[in-house]
Amino acid sequence: MSYYLALLSRQDKPIYELKFGSSRQGGDGQPHFDKAMDDLTPFVVHAALDVVDDVQWTTPAMYLKTVDNFYSYMISAFVTAGNIRFMLVHETKNEESIRQFFLDVYDLYVKTLMSPFYRVTDKIQSPAFDTKVRALARKYL
Amino acid sequence: MIYSFWMYDRHCECIYSRDWHRSAAHEDKEDLQKLIYGSVFSLRNITRKLSDDDAFLSFQTSKYKLHFFESPSNLKLVLITDPMMSDACNALRQIYAGLYVEYVVKNPLSPIEHPRGTGVDNDLFNMGLDSFVRSLQGFA
Amino acid sequence: MSKVRSVGEEVWKHKTDKINSELLTLTYGSIVAQLVADFDHDYAKVNKQLDKMGYNIGLRLIEELLAKTGLPRCQNFRDTAEAVAKVGFKMFMNITPTISNWSVDSKQFSLVFTENPLAEFVELPDKPNARDLWYSNIYAGVIRGALEMVQLQVEAEFVSDAVQDPSLPTEIRVRLVKVLEDEIPPGED
Repeated sequence: MSYYLALLSRQDKPIYELKFGSSRQGGDGQPHFDKAMDDLTPFVVHAALDVVDDVQWTTPAMYLKTVDNFYSYMISAFVTAGNIRFMLVHETKNEESIRQFFLDVYDLYVKTLMSPFYRVTDKIQSPAFDTKVRALARKYL
Repeated sequence: MIYSFWMYDRHCECIYSRDWHRSAAHEDKEDLQKLIYGSVFSLRNITRKLSDDDAFLSFQTSKYKLHFFESPSNLKLVLITDPMMSDACNALRQIYAGLYVEYVVKNPLSPIEHPRGTGVDNDLFNMGLDSFVRSLQGFA
Repeated sequence: MSKVRSVGEEVWKHKTDKINSELLTLTYGSIVAQLVADFDHDYAKVNKQLDKMGYNIGLRLIEELLAKTGLPRCQNFRDTAEAVAKVGFKMFMNITPTISNWSVDSKQFSLVFTENPLAEFVELPDKPNARDLWYSNIYAGVIRGALEMVQLQVEAEFVSDAVQDPSLPTEIRVRLVKVLEDEIPPGED
């Protein structure tokens, strides 16, 4: 099972991206997108942003659940108050785990935002952030 | 009767003075200011020599009494009164902690060092000091 | 010495106005970030500027400390270290750094911080020389300014900082240069 996580700035630019695989049920944690899909993920996510724009005003929640589909893939979204979009491409429906994953990533994102040297449009280059997101992926997905 | 109040910083500079009741003719204020500092400075040094790190609290003549308080940061506060006045060191301490620190030190725009001439010039301090001194027993 | 500790705790509990620590952290953070931008990542200059700002703060903070605690003059440098750690840092930052590594002549000691409210959330900029930045260098200036007001000329500087390397402690080294003589009024000998 493969996942693609992207954090998108208000200008729809990716500020963080990660491909990973499930660590559950004997998964090795590595992504196994097939070749065609591997290249398409950023575009799939981008296409889903339009749906997010509509859906986000229909609910007070930040977690928008699955907003879009692409063949057998689902795209779930989480929108922060600052309009940073967390997008996750995944293959199975697993709302609760994804919700918790997003919430914890949100927590990490806020901490990054609190660092005086990080500006809101910057790519997140902190190795600490990366390590922690990977740990969350292993924990929840 | 309270005559006057004087404040000296750690550079021996008089940074504030104020009269309430004029006592005798002392026209030359600058001269007096230096004399006060000189006497306070010497007396304090004597008391420190006599017993380790001890400051004097006041001295008096038949006509005056001089009260003294010094902070560990070497800010010196002097109050000159008639000899009947009871010790005012505590009052001076209150002026230091309640007025000087509150209104002068904690005011970021008021200078903390006063090189040559610029003294404490702060309305809140002026008013606070005036009403505090007037409220002291034996003021008039 | 536990007396000093209780003085610090007493002042912190009853006589100190408190503010939200994140407000402080973010305010300080934006100052440092602005300095870094203004000096174009010349960290030596940023360190110096932070030290200078701290010095000016220290000159004032010491009066506040003396006024609120009524602490007497310290008898020796060891007392001073206690007062800095257990009263100064306690009342202004609500932390108590550990005093360690005394030199044999009792003129140098280290303050070791297990927590540092200023550096919460901080990740240093992604620059090769970012490790030259002593992020919390304002502390060093504050210590220098405050002690100068009580006639102690000291040098204070960071030797390591957990912000740079989480495996290291945050440590400030304080050196007594000399005890300043009282100034003598001009014209008196």
